[in-house]
Amino acid sequence: MIMLIITLILSYPLGLVDIGVWAKVGVNIAKFLPELGVRWDLVGDALIASYETLIISLLGVSGGTLIAYILAPLASPLIVPPRVAFVGRMTANAIRTVPAILWAILFVILVGPGPRAGALALIIYTSGYLAKFFYESLEAISREHYDSLRVIGLRGLPLAFALYSHAKRYIISNVLFMLEYNVRTATILGFVGAGGIGYYIVNYLGMLNYQATLTFVIFTLLLVVAIDLVSYIARSRV
Amino acid sequence: MPEPSVGHAVELNDVFFSYGSTRILSGANLKVGYGEAIAIMGRSGVGKTTLLKIMAGILKPEKGYVRVLGCITHTGCFNSLRGRIAYIPQNLGLVEGESALYNVLLAKAPSKPLRFMAGLWGSDDLSEALEALKMVGLGGKARSRVDRLSGGERQRVAIARAILQRAEILLADEPVSNLDLDTAEDIAKLMVGLKSKGLTIIAVMHDKWLTSKYFDKIYLLDGGILREAV
Repeated sequence: MIMLIITLILSYPLGLVDIGVWAKVGVNIAKFLPELGVRWDLVGDALIASYETLIISLLGVSGGTLIAYILAPLASPLIVPPRVAFVGRMTANAIRTVPAILWAILFVILVGPGPRAGALALIIYTSGYLAKFFYESLEAISREHYDSLRVIGLRGLPLAFALYSHAKRYIISNVLFMLEYNVRTATILGFVGAGGIGYYIVNYLGMLNYQATLTFVIFTLLLVVAIDLVSYIARSRV
Repeated sequence: MPEPSVGHAVELNDVFFSYGSTRILSGANLKVGYGEAIAIMGRSGVGKTTLLKIMAGILKPEKGYVRVLGCITHTGCFNSLRGRIAYIPQNLGLVEGESALYNVLLAKAPSKPLRFMAGLWGSDDLSEALEALKMVGLGGKARSRVDRLSGGERQRVAIARAILQRAEILLADEPVSNLDLDTAEDIAKLMVGLKSKGLTIIAVMHDKWLTSKYFDKIYLLDGGILREAV
């Protein structure tokens, strides 16, 4: 409560607490509501754009998982010498620190606008995120399991793969979480020209075409809910 | 390179080890001949698991040395022994959620890492693993998930892995704990029976009757030193 009051005081110069502006919200809603509706002629485009978003997300997850599978052992002192692990960990952290949308801007510049840039951005971002989950999962495995594999003679990547099989449930759960996350993020990536449904939303919004915008927003919601549902069912069966 | 198989399979010479300020081993000595089966007994928390881990090269002694198959632990020579020592920890080190066959095939992973990572085992590897499972009486349960097997069956999977590994030394930490008497005897008999395959067996045990029936020698760990029970 104290924090809220302090924040409200601090936000005064930004006009966030300007009563006059808030009073206009009701008027705006009244103007906006009659404009709402669905453009049925755009359903085909919305379906194609949803499909594109889904494919960008899936490419992001599968490519990112593959890179993270290799990167995580290089960031774990259980697998590589501590100095190498430090470099690996810093690399994963650096990738993760840059938001997906900035990666998308970078790839739009490098490979041009479209789903290719979106997929590449999500592959890189997902790899940084999952690498952290994966090296944490490697380190959470009981020391006895690790010791018995080391004594067999396992080292390096094969040791990491054997340890991964101990953490399979945790890993699958995190990959599914990233799929949900990527579907939401892929929607936003379109705002900077990296393909998917967001491209349509930002363009129709710019033209103040609210019915077309709403059509694409509804498809976005349906896609997100569908992926969340599939992910929930898959996670409960792991 | 490992020295030729002369002398003792395992030799501890005046070994000291502490966890922080707690002294666990204070000059432990032991000589285990090739093909012998010895049991280590002692009160809980006395350091039996630690001793086994030192022999496996997992922990490094503060003082003294451990020589296994002619190589002193924590040397290049010892590292070249990879695969010749099998270590079964108390939790067995099995991968839950995977089949008995998968767990046994892990023994082949160090020599065939690409096949292991791709999950593409050759027919010879599979038949060897199935043979190892048959030897421990689990021929019909190769595809069963280990978390759905009984305690005794899980022990058998761990032993089958050591067989496939063609290990020369088996270090087992309380292999029959939490098992009923009949199953415990079956496991002890099976494990000690591996002597016929040239294995040297060192096991931490609690059951005096089983130990005296099946093992060649019993050592007591007390006060940080080992002495042979008579």
